[in-house]
Amino acid sequence: MYGLVALGYHVTWATSRTLNFSQGHVVMVGAVVAYAVHVAAGWPLVIALGVTVIASAAFGLVVERVAVRPFFRTGSPVWLLSTIALGIIVENVAMLTFGKDARAFPSTLALKPVFVLGAGVYPQELLLPVVGVALMGATQLFYHRTFYGRQLKAVAWDSEAAGLMGIDVPRAVAVAYALSAVLAGVAGVLLAPLLNVSPTMGTLIGLKAFAVAIIGGLGSAAGIVVAGFLYGLVEALVAGYVSTGAREIVGFAVVIAMLVVRPWGLGGARPARRV
Amino acid sequence: MKRGWFTLLAIVGVAALAGAPAAQQAPIKVGLAAAVSGGSAASGEAIKRGLSIAIDEVNARGGLLGGRKLELVVRDDEGNPQKGVTIARELVEREKVAAVFGGLHTTVALAQVPVWHELATPYVGTWAAGTNITRNGKKPNFVFRVSANDDEVDKFLVRYAAEQLKRGKPGLLLENTAWGQSNEAGLTKWFGERGVKAVGIEKFNWNDPDMSPQLLRLKQGGADVVMLVANAPEGAQVVKSKAKVGWEVPIVSHWGISGGRFAELTGELSEGVVFVQTYSFFGRQNARGEAVLKALRDKYGVKGPEDVTAPVGTANAYDALHLVALAIEQAKSAEGARVRDALEELKAEYAGLIKSYKRPFTSEQHDALTERDYIMVVWKGGKIVPVP
Amino acid sequence: MSARAGWIAVAVAAAAVPLVTANTYYLYLAMTIGIFVVVAAGLNVLAGLTGQISLGHAGLYAIGAYTAALAATRLGLGFWTALPLAIAVTAVIGAAVALAALRLSGPYLAMVTIAFGIIVEGALVEWVALTGGPGGIFDIPKPAVGGAPLALGRYYWLVAAAAALALVLTRNLARSAWGRALVAVKSSELAAASLGLSAYRVRTAAFTVSAAFAGAGGALFAFLNGYLSPDSFTLQTSILFLLIVLFGGLGTLAGPLVGAAALVLLPEVVRQFVEYRLILYGSLLLLSVYFLPRGVVGALARPRAARPADSGTGVPSLTQDAGDSPPTAGQAGASSAVALALTGVTKAFGGVRAVAGVTLAVRGGTVHSLIGPNGAGKTTLVNLVSGFDVPDGGTIALFDEGIAGRGPAAIARRGVVRTFQTPQLFEELSVLDNVRVGAAGHRLGWLVAALAGFGGDSPATQARARAALDAVGLGDWAATSAADLPFGHRRRLEIARALAAGARVLLLDEPAAGLAPAEVEALDALLSRLRAGGLTVVLVEHHVELVMAISDRVTVLDEGRVIAEGPPAAVQRDPAVVAAYLGTSA
Repeated sequence: MYGLVALGYHVTWATSRTLNFSQGHVVMVGAVVAYAVHVAAGWPLVIALGVTVIASAAFGLVVERVAVRPFFRTGSPVWLLSTIALGIIVENVAMLTFGKDARAFPSTLALKPVFVLGAGVYPQELLLPVVGVALMGATQLFYHRTFYGRQLKAVAWDSEAAGLMGIDVPRAVAVAYALSAVLAGVAGVLLAPLLNVSPTMGTLIGLKAFAVAIIGGLGSAAGIVVAGFLYGLVEALVAGYVSTGAREIVGFAVVIAMLVVRPWGLGGARPARRV
Repeated sequence: MKRGWFTLLAIVGVAALAGAPAAQQAPIKVGLAAAVSGGSAASGEAIKRGLSIAIDEVNARGGLLGGRKLELVVRDDEGNPQKGVTIARELVEREKVAAVFGGLHTTVALAQVPVWHELATPYVGTWAAGTNITRNGKKPNFVFRVSANDDEVDKFLVRYAAEQLKRGKPGLLLENTAWGQSNEAGLTKWFGERGVKAVGIEKFNWNDPDMSPQLLRLKQGGADVVMLVANAPEGAQVVKSKAKVGWEVPIVSHWGISGGRFAELTGELSEGVVFVQTYSFFGRQNARGEAVLKALRDKYGVKGPEDVTAPVGTANAYDALHLVALAIEQAKSAEGARVRDALEELKAEYAGLIKSYKRPFTSEQHDALTERDYIMVVWKGGKIVPVP
Repeated sequence: MSARAGWIAVAVAAAAVPLVTANTYYLYLAMTIGIFVVVAAGLNVLAGLTGQISLGHAGLYAIGAYTAALAATRLGLGFWTALPLAIAVTAVIGAAVALAALRLSGPYLAMVTIAFGIIVEGALVEWVALTGGPGGIFDIPKPAVGGAPLALGRYYWLVAAAAALALVLTRNLARSAWGRALVAVKSSELAAASLGLSAYRVRTAAFTVSAAFAGAGGALFAFLNGYLSPDSFTLQTSILFLLIVLFGGLGTLAGPLVGAAALVLLPEVVRQFVEYRLILYGSLLLLSVYFLPRGVVGALARPRAARPADSGTGVPSLTQDAGDSPPTAGQAGASSAVALALTGVTKAFGGVRAVAGVTLAVRGGTVHSLIGPNGAGKTTLVNLVSGFDVPDGGTIALFDEGIAGRGPAAIARRGVVRTFQTPQLFEELSVLDNVRVGAAGHRLGWLVAALAGFGGDSPATQARARAALDAVGLGDWAATSAADLPFGHRRRLEIARALAAGARVLLLDEPAAGLAPAEVEALDALLSRLRAGGLTVVLVEHHVELVMAISDRVTVLDEGRVIAEGPPAAVQRDPAVVAAYLGTSA
């Protein structure tokens, strides 16, 4: 569940060495847009999904334009703050337009639990990893098989060289942000029936996804996917056997321990020191 | 750093601090200190509506103390104790309110308790149910409440579970907040009175999506009833998770799940969940109930009882405002200490929305509503109906 | 209007508040500002001077507050005992966090600090027996002086004094050798390490100081409110602290004051827009990073005066003080001994053997050049000797002491100081301060003394800095900002800095690259003078004329191996060398 959102961090980090710290808010935007189209306006889910994808991409572009591009490669981590600022603003806008209450996002897959091996799950919960893995696969395909994807990869490898090769680096970064936002927005739609829709729904997800991305290594898609599953597992184990209250403490303590032992992440490479 | 603006800043600062606006004598101001932004804003709004409707009624009758109108000053505590203290001081010191009505969060209310006493201003809680808000050990006590008191609620819930449902193995499922903590104490105490020990005490955080692990542990512990302390979003996740783990067990809940959205969030799973209320806008209403519903419709476009979010907030605030109005009349003053004294010895009987109040407060009892005034209700078809 | 008069005006205004009004609302706001100033001043040391961003300061603030509250309620300690205890506990925990976190930077560091904040908040909620859980701690007694509890108006003086003290302490720190070291580490971690200054150690110190301030703020907060609960210490609070510093002006003295005042008062002023509070906050943050990269204070500050009057582009004269020998350490009797000995040194990157068994002896008091085609392993060798890379095999000895495998700062402290192909200056410091960082090196004195205002350089250090600057002919540029220095002078400054750092062996990595002919000549003269003073110079250079003119010995590398060594003239005729150069150019 966190993997998908975390992958969004990776996409922009790899391309631009920046990321949207308010990725969780994009999850919320995705869910809210889908709610507006599907529940409030009563249109079919497919259309809602389409609109969400477009809206998320547009939002990603806005984030890139407003909060990242002005500070791109200034060396200072100011983008960290500007993206947080944008997230705060979006949350408030959602409160004003959507309302402050959590609302239900009806899904036929989240009405009745099914029982597998004696344990009940909502079909929606089963859908999550399936769609998640499918989307991750699609992202990889996009990277390897399409023109844009290859450009992104080139920029990720060495942006200066890519720039010299005639690749429009700022545009590639913008595309990366759009892609990252789409991943988060779709995650929002998937999560909506389970978490309900509210302006604050994304904050904790975003934070945990960030933790996952860090553990996995911001530069490594595979590391992130593995870390996503591991983190979910640790959380479930702690919640199941120790106490729910300890879940956050243990989860984030693991993050710190991870970073102390292996600062470049599970799947990342030790960065070479450049002199 | 040779900047002339330092002087400017200093001058502006001193001027702003010195130039406090002179208090207007004409209207009597009362304050509301509650979260009216952020996640629990809907409940804050409910309180504000109850107060506004009651104030309109008082003003329509010609105001208080010979024609002085009531005026509501709303301040946002953002659910943050420090902000709560700031606005408490501001309401009293700058806005010169006669009394303050209180907000949603137990921690904010607790942080404010010393301020009310320092500044000698009566405070009437309309929501936060933490036991030690009113039972704070201060003499004289400036903190009153027209709302549930966790200790009383817990006594009520325990009796219901034990006597109506005949259950003896309760599992506690509480939100991990000051409110949950307050009820952990209350529920443990009142079950203890009956010689019953909870088989498990489980907690969850706000916005938790899945309570299955907690429920499973309670189930394995052999619980035959779940005592729930939750707000609507988490309460909804509890009933969903309960369906998921396939556990048929009655849920007896504190009032947090009363918001209309609970039914929307859970669908048919809400069916049969019982919980406590101070008041319900469903079913037959008394004259005040009709009037309040009409005012809600006219003023706020509320379509019907199912559209009233956080109904207890509105009901409690409505009665609280009328009680304070009576106290001001009796004290013949809007001065804080005298209003406080009058509240403790209220002579007039007030036929209110929730009940008829006769001497609601004494020096020992600062909760106007007690266990006897609560009603048990149940979700049925998306509506709240009294438990038969 | 001078800064002094401005500060006096602020101080008088702040002191006058309780005299002007008894309104506790205003007093409370003013005290909130005061407490935030204390925390923000500390955060400013971290974020402003070292450039490390912490999103976990609410956690430290919480630890200070809870320590003080528990000391007062459980142990019955008074304010005057509880406050230092809170500061000490927070500083210790801060140091522990720093040790774990400060090897990281950017989003990784942000993550660790966020995680720390969340863990502290979680612990406050879960550890009910100690912290009172979500309900918090009640009835924290008011601070007392002489047995009598202080009224709010009196406690105000205390908070105001604390805020003033916080600003004074951070000012002292910023002006001390520690302060320069903090900025140096932020500007260039590599250059700092090359001068013996461990970035890790310096940052850990900054974080600890910053934690102590947060702890003090927390303790003041606990005694102000008399009640604590975990929801005062969320991620929002951390963001607020950071916003205060950013908005006020990162690294400026008055920044925390302006930021705290603005962010406490603003919400009170625009209260009717409470629904838009978050939009307001977000916009403020966004606008301040957009338009006020140095905050309100930075935007109002006038730009610093730059160059000396007679600057021009001319080459500084080196003859002005030819009588003095340059300040180098350990030169006496060194000229015959082997200063630097490499034996069978190897280093591979992936499958590429960049250095394949180099054995080399550099005699003291000589200029020893390393030449070779691109990719011959010259810079790698410099990195290995200076500790920026660790050799896979072989030994490196400095005056018979093995130094291979030590960190760059440790090696620099032993007297091997390097320069960089692209000069790594501390751009935010003046030319003189750049050299002073080198002169002080890791000898920064007591941190507490620096805070108290006794952190100035010793006369000896100052003299050494001056002398080094004069030695390279930059004496007139002392007050110029390093960022404004012309290119040719940047290399000189690097050399001066290395000299001040007490270099016994100076490693110069292509110092002539990009210099005009006149500047190369001046460099030649400078190196000759340094050698005359007894300094050992290892010169990596492509500029053949310079190498031939100045070197005592030349070693030629190709593909990681030594292919020739000897006096310049002999090497120049060596067939292997000719082949290597022709080979690469063909």
